[in-house]
Amino acid sequence: MTRHTSAVRLLAAVAALGLIAGACGDDDDASIDSPEATTGATGTEAPSDATGDTTAPAGTDATESTTAPEETDAPADDAAPLVIAVTTEPSTLDAQLVNDRNSRVFTANIYEALLGRNENVEVVPLLAESYENTSDTTWTFTLREGVTFHNGEPFNAESAAFSIQRMISEDFDTQRTSYIDSIVGATAVDEYTLEIETDGVLATLPAQVTQIPMVPVEGAETLDTEPVGTGPYKFVEWNTGVDVVATRNDDYWGDPPAIKDFSIRFISDNQTALSALQAGEVDLVVDILPEQKDLAPIVKSVPAAEFSYIAFNTYLPALSDPRVRVAFNMAIDKETLADVVYEGEARPNDSQNLTDAMLGYNPDLGPIPYDPEGARALLEEAGYPFDEVIELNVPIGRYLKGEESAEYVAEQLRAVGVNIEIIATEFNTYREDGRIPGTEEGAMDLKYGWNSNEFFDGGRILSHVTCEGSSSKICIPEVDELMELGATSLDQDVRDQAYQDAWALLHDDPYAIYLLQQNLLYGVSERLQWEPRQDDEYYVSTMALTA
Amino acid sequence: MTATLIEPTRGLGFGARRRRSRSRAQLVLRRIRDGAIVLFLVLTAIFLLGRLVGDPAESLAPIDATQEEVDQIRANLGLDRPLLTQAGEYYSGLVRGDMGESFVIARNQDALPLVLDRLGATMRLTLAGLLFSILLGVVTGIVAGVRPGSLFDRVGNFLALAGVSFPYFWFGQILILIVAVNLHWVSVLPDGGPKSYFLPGVTLGIHHGGRLFQLVRSATLDELGKSYVIVAESKGLGYYAVVMKHILRNVGLVVMTMVGWEYARMWGGTVFLVEFTFAWPGIGKLTTDAADFHDFNVIQAGVVVAGVFVVLSNLVVDLLATVVDKSAEAGT
Repeated sequence: MTRHTSAVRLLAAVAALGLIAGACGDDDDASIDSPEATTGATGTEAPSDATGDTTAPAGTDATESTTAPEETDAPADDAAPLVIAVTTEPSTLDAQLVNDRNSRVFTANIYEALLGRNENVEVVPLLAESYENTSDTTWTFTLREGVTFHNGEPFNAESAAFSIQRMISEDFDTQRTSYIDSIVGATAVDEYTLEIETDGVLATLPAQVTQIPMVPVEGAETLDTEPVGTGPYKFVEWNTGVDVVATRNDDYWGDPPAIKDFSIRFISDNQTALSALQAGEVDLVVDILPEQKDLAPIVKSVPAAEFSYIAFNTYLPALSDPRVRVAFNMAIDKETLADVVYEGEARPNDSQNLTDAMLGYNPDLGPIPYDPEGARALLEEAGYPFDEVIELNVPIGRYLKGEESAEYVAEQLRAVGVNIEIIATEFNTYREDGRIPGTEEGAMDLKYGWNSNEFFDGGRILSHVTCEGSSSKICIPEVDELMELGATSLDQDVRDQAYQDAWALLHDDPYAIYLLQQNLLYGVSERLQWEPRQDDEYYVSTMALTA
Repeated sequence: MTATLIEPTRGLGFGARRRRSRSRAQLVLRRIRDGAIVLFLVLTAIFLLGRLVGDPAESLAPIDATQEEVDQIRANLGLDRPLLTQAGEYYSGLVRGDMGESFVIARNQDALPLVLDRLGATMRLTLAGLLFSILLGVVTGIVAGVRPGSLFDRVGNFLALAGVSFPYFWFGQILILIVAVNLHWVSVLPDGGPKSYFLPGVTLGIHHGGRLFQLVRSATLDELGKSYVIVAESKGLGYYAVVMKHILRNVGLVVMTMVGWEYARMWGGTVFLVEFTFAWPGIGKLTTDAADFHDFNVIQAGVVVAGVFVVLSNLVVDLLATVVDKSAEAGT
């Protein structure tokens, strides 16, 4: 036995040495939180074959990139290709079919939609030059001329109509259904004019159109393994289990991107990806953990459109009184949750699942202040049943620090006398149980989750707060009316006000404990110039490499 | 340490000796039959467990899908049918070598070809692991057994214990940090070249070699204490002659069995975790991805292929054991 313990000790020492060696590898491993503060380091870790030629860029080439810094020393084409690490291999490269990030990191560089989003996530024209709302249910798009797909097929209204019809078709089974389910048809009016029909007034149609990648008519059946789009990069090869590779599309209609080749590498183990980053084999590791910040040469983070919350089942008698739900919000010290559990890579959210850049954000609302005594008093005033067990459901391994957050919240609720129990389940079970209506047996009392907001629009939250919403356990008729108004009006000011009013109501009659707005964290190599986006998209055309 | 010795010897030394009289063909048939039964049981368990624990329809459905939408996806996958119907299709497919299509990770592609496509990568990694296990475990184990109590023996014992006790994927990460990140001797990520086998191979070698060291050392030690060695020495044979001639031959059988046993254990799981750590494009990485999304058919295909290799390695060990056993008998 003594031998065993001494073995453990020595091994621990060896391990510690290893870790120290690892950590000391980069003397300049500044862990930088703010997106502005970029490298400035000498870049000693750059792979030897990347040093290449120093011929200055013509200057004209670098103009395209909107976010990449101008002073790229040498965007040399013979630089080692850019490598982005993701954890899971894409299930398909047909961008119309799926919506997981692992696929999107690649396909967003291959395919383009009629509309896109700029670096401030505002909707901007892409393959369409302009669009207008020509009747309550009709939108007319004027398409860009002279665009061709990577297979040589011209892009026109016919291929646009085909793309939209393909995606909304019943048999297609796209994971993006919920983004586009109000679109009922698309027709080519002439070669560069397209009409899209909706099944009602649809204010978010432009946002929905950003979710429909354009695909060619020829070869659409094989897009899952041979993607073809109009984007700045074209597909080269997919080495199963290893990576998927793309190269610059020299016939691109827009400005040519600075980086010639890139690949998306599948590395299941985050730790391995970070080691590869340190060794200069990878340039960008998507999604690192707050505690891994010291392991990356450069860390970038961006406040994302990701909001953690704990939804109430307001149909449960114990939680039906709005005062009880406000008290639950008061019982949680969100500041400390952000600082301790997320090492500062999060902030209390403003009691609404929107960022200030989004339509419908209410600037008058803020986090409900931490006040445990006040919470206890309010619960007593509302006659809260302190002996009743309330279950808090959290999925295992799904959300960054989800279990820890739930544990923290439960502890704070216990501190004000609430009898709380945590139920941790596998994600699919959690999803299934989460859909049980609030009035039925087995409904979740409290549900920890994150909301994302791909539309950057207050209406996206609909399904969580309306009486009939698929995952809603609250019913406030006024909120429904306001949400309906926001969804159907085409006047952006009316919509903005409607959502603001709805969030004001949900502040006093909360559907959830509003927790945090989360940051997305990235490990970045010293040669990569790039700023993360809050929409979690990765456009290689906006990136550059320094020699 | 002697306790661990019992385990692998069970099937080999004694068993082989008992069955010596039977024909080799009979043995092979028996082993294949046993293997098939084990595979059948494992596959049934995987089939049921998978369906109890998860639902690929949930993985495919949009995050805010309604129950109807999820039900529709489940129906499209054929997962809404009675369990017995699904099981019937599953077993009849197995007989035909058709393991169904991937639901999630490679939609609509046949599951078995997906797995077989990755077989080569995993196979090569297990062989690298085997090589390093023998280098790190067997050779050193014999030396340590011949010189018990020496510095070599003590250091070896200590390292072997460490190799066995610590999680090997953790060793893998440490190796990556030291050898790849700091020393830059090899790359972190496999590039298909021969150097790529070094780190994952050594990681497997540390774990399996540690066990082999312990077993081989004590087998050698046991053998040295036997009376024939004393007799041989008393007859005037030199110590090294005894070691080379008798001990190696007698220990050899045990060693071979143990090596085979460790190789089967790689297919039983360790190689898959090492693949995960080293981003190795083999079956393990594929099936862990599949498990994340409850992609039943791919998981099942992965288990079948791995299971076949476990059974095959055991079979080969048994056959070798009979061969060596016979020749040993003839030699004495």
